[in-house]
Amino acid sequence: MSEGFPSERRPRWAAFLIAAVLAGLAVMILTDAAGLKQDGGYAGVGPADVPRLIAYGLLVLAALTVVSGLKGDLPKPPRQAPAPVLWIMGGLVGQLALLHVAGFVVSGAILFGMTARGFGQKPLWRNLLVGFALAFVIYGVFDRLLKLNLPGGPIELLIFRG
Amino acid sequence: MKHTILGVAFAAALAVPAFAQDYTIMAPANPGGGWDGTARAMQEVMQAEGIAPSVEVINVPGAGGTVGLAQFVADSAGDPTKLIVGGYVMVGAILTNASPVTLEDVTPIARLTGDTEAIVVPAASEIQTLEQLVEKLKADPGSVSWAGGSAGGTDHILVGLLAKAAGVDPTKINYVAFSGGGEAMAAILGNQVTAGVSSVGEFQEQVKAGTMRLLAVSSADRLEGIDAPTIKESGFDVVVQNWRMVAAAPGLSDEQKAKIAGDIEKLNASAGWTKMLADKGWANTYLAGDAFMTQLDADIAATDTVLRDIGLVK
Amino acid sequence: MESFSLLLQGLSTAMEPMILLYALIGVTLGTAVGVLPGIGPALTVALLLPVTYGLDPAGSLIMFAGIYYGGMYGGSTTSILLNTPGESASIVTAIEGNQMARQGRGGPALATAAIGSFVAGLIATLLLAFLAPQVVKLALTLGPREYFALMMLAFVTVSATFGDSALRGLTSLFIGLALACVGIDGLTGAARLTYGVPQLMDGIETTTLAVALFAIGEALAVAAMLDPPDGMHRVKGSVKMTREDWRRSWKAWLRGTFIGFPIGSMPAGGADVASFLSYAAERKLAKHPEEFGHGAIEGVAGPEAANNAAAAGTLVPLLTLGLPTTATAAIMLAGFQQFGLQPGPLLFVMNAELVWGLIASLLIANVMLVVLNLPLIGLWIKLLSIPRPWLYGGILLFATLGTIGVNPSPVELGMLILFGVMGYGMRLYGYPVAPVVVGLILGPMAEQQLRRALAIAQGDWTTLISTPVSAVLLGISAVFLVVPMIMRLRGRGQVLSQVAGDAD
Repeated sequence: MSEGFPSERRPRWAAFLIAAVLAGLAVMILTDAAGLKQDGGYAGVGPADVPRLIAYGLLVLAALTVVSGLKGDLPKPPRQAPAPVLWIMGGLVGQLALLHVAGFVVSGAILFGMTARGFGQKPLWRNLLVGFALAFVIYGVFDRLLKLNLPGGPIELLIFRG
Repeated sequence: MKHTILGVAFAAALAVPAFAQDYTIMAPANPGGGWDGTARAMQEVMQAEGIAPSVEVINVPGAGGTVGLAQFVADSAGDPTKLIVGGYVMVGAILTNASPVTLEDVTPIARLTGDTEAIVVPAASEIQTLEQLVEKLKADPGSVSWAGGSAGGTDHILVGLLAKAAGVDPTKINYVAFSGGGEAMAAILGNQVTAGVSSVGEFQEQVKAGTMRLLAVSSADRLEGIDAPTIKESGFDVVVQNWRMVAAAPGLSDEQKAKIAGDIEKLNASAGWTKMLADKGWANTYLAGDAFMTQLDADIAATDTVLRDIGLVK
Repeated sequence: MESFSLLLQGLSTAMEPMILLYALIGVTLGTAVGVLPGIGPALTVALLLPVTYGLDPAGSLIMFAGIYYGGMYGGSTTSILLNTPGESASIVTAIEGNQMARQGRGGPALATAAIGSFVAGLIATLLLAFLAPQVVKLALTLGPREYFALMMLAFVTVSATFGDSALRGLTSLFIGLALACVGIDGLTGAARLTYGVPQLMDGIETTTLAVALFAIGEALAVAAMLDPPDGMHRVKGSVKMTREDWRRSWKAWLRGTFIGFPIGSMPAGGADVASFLSYAAERKLAKHPEEFGHGAIEGVAGPEAANNAAAAGTLVPLLTLGLPTTATAAIMLAGFQQFGLQPGPLLFVMNAELVWGLIASLLIANVMLVVLNLPLIGLWIKLLSIPRPWLYGGILLFATLGTIGVNPSPVELGMLILFGVMGYGMRLYGYPVAPVVVGLILGPMAEQQLRRALAIAQGDWTTLISTPVSAVLLGISAVFLVVPMIMRLRGRGQVLSQVAGDAD
């Protein structure tokens, strides 16, 4: 709490941002609820009623968050290193993008390798290799032996299906 | 240890002979449900009977099977090794969810099994017959609460059809949807609701034990070994079967279709399938070819009408 | 008395060396797969069920029991050590358990979870054996209005105890409730907040949300730490429980058992609800409530006992009525059919020998579980000495494996990433993540039970307090809601929030 001007400021802006997200969520719910057929049947409580209640709750919480932001009582986050986060996010997005193209093993290797890189392990190629080996074993055990269906790509086809 | 496991995996993968055709069956539901059960039963019998050397089951759950159906159509077009399991519930789900992909987009092969629906009341209820239940429904539709599966599902459709046949406004029925068979059954056993609807098989043990009273079944004729009239006998023209079918991918050649239809026919004729159905308590309602297509079209049309009547489809 | 001799007979069959070996294999496999983050008990049992095919009935029955208990237990290990629960019933275990692990007390945390699971499994299995028909009769008298009241109680007790800031705890809970609105409304079939995306129609998968918030959020937060506290996770002292740990655990085990078993037996209960209530109870009853959020052993002992007792409780409606009340139970039902067991009211009469064989198997499997896992604790702890890059790479790979295996759609994986980032952001600003999952689980249950109750009563709201059970439960909820407010007004709340400090 003793790091001077910028760090005291940050939580406040963050509080306003959080409040805005909460309010945005509430608006989404209310808009959606307005488009629902209001048919409570014999219950009298229809599909839009409970979401509305939750949206009002969110609006109240957003207001309270603004108040707490003005008072500055949101915990101050410790200083963050952005690079690791980007590496891991890259790994996750890479896996998502490549899963159905390259198969589970390759996309898993990318996730593993980039995550390890994010945690500071270098070089990247070795991480990818380790990830490949691990994902390969996982694929063998879960897809082949336990019949959990994992998306296969060229490599899985080549190795496991002759 | 890992080497052995992988070794086994390799051996299993390499042991596949090349002549007969492999299949991948999609169950568009989570493990544990009826479609998953059907797909896995097919897998077991087709492998054991040597109809296909290797059969894989994949689950793509969601939205009454329509998520799986959409994915099946997108990914499997023209692939003769891909099958999907579906059924009557999917017909309703396609309509209520306004699914862009319908059964027109796949190649239905055959109806395999089916469950008859049953209407029950708790043992403690004063209602003894379907006629008495319908009287109560006519007098005050709201006072008859029906426990059953998801909104727009087979159970709901049956209640809608019954109300209509009895001259009651189907939008006025007090249908209480429960998630999964278990909770609905608990509500009936606990005397929380007036009546319950589900498949005969689900209720059978309870009826035997005397904790529920079976009022009527939804088949065209009385069921063997079950002491209850059909809904039709009671004077309401309602016949519903919760059937399950298998379909192939769109865009297949006639030879490919014939090959798959032949394999499914072999499956149906096998001793293993007969035993499997008996073990699971499923009725064999095998119907293939044009007869099945006609039946399917009729079911879709009838479902569309009743869902509009209930107010679930606009 | 006859049942007792049947049980003994079952136990003596189960004591043969081969059968014991099968039990050991089942428990090992169940634990090994169940321990992987992202792979919950339902998937574990579904994956391993085929392994039991082809054995003789006694062998496969016992292996099956082992897989079930192993899979149920496995989830707690990664919750405690890595703050990554793979399923909803071990979420609260992560709260205190991971704090203990961070202070180097991972060993006692795992031990109290293992022994608690054993104690709860033992008592609950015996209750199942001798009281199942009576318990189920009671459970059936409960209907939607009682369940609604129970959910209200769960909401109030749970939200009053999560985190150190009421505002942030409630915000988390409401985010969960908002997420719970997504999908087809169970009662009318109306699609809410789906924006035409078919994958959203069934709502947001609990496992996806839990894995994303915990595993991915945690990985991002740990990676982004500029100066990680020295020696975090380093094991200090013994891996065994101290005398003090035992003294504080045993009551929590028993309370957890007696909360878990009845709630597991209820057709609308479940292991997750049981673990939430147990955590709330421990927190209320603790002599040192200020320790909660900082590694209170009761907060591990109670919920772990509760979720195992609930797992046995689930078998009550399954065996006596044939009602599968959880996904795991639905898969178990399929498993029973291969043994020719037809669950239902007549099961105990018609298939007495098989039933008692199953119960004997469950008892043996339960013993095997503790025999296997207590010595393994030392080994599990070593997980933490794997260099972080490899450890977290592996965690993320397994965490996504569960989602990919069950539903490999880009939408599902996209949600995993989105909620992962959300979990990271929430950690940054001190928002607890567990209430989000609690909201997602309890929200739809409460809403549906309320609307069912009202539909049955044709819109008459007094139905909610028309039975003693529902009235009492709602009354207790109201008390729990009002009393803390009064205390806060008197200024005690400030003291509490000061001692509560800065837990995440």
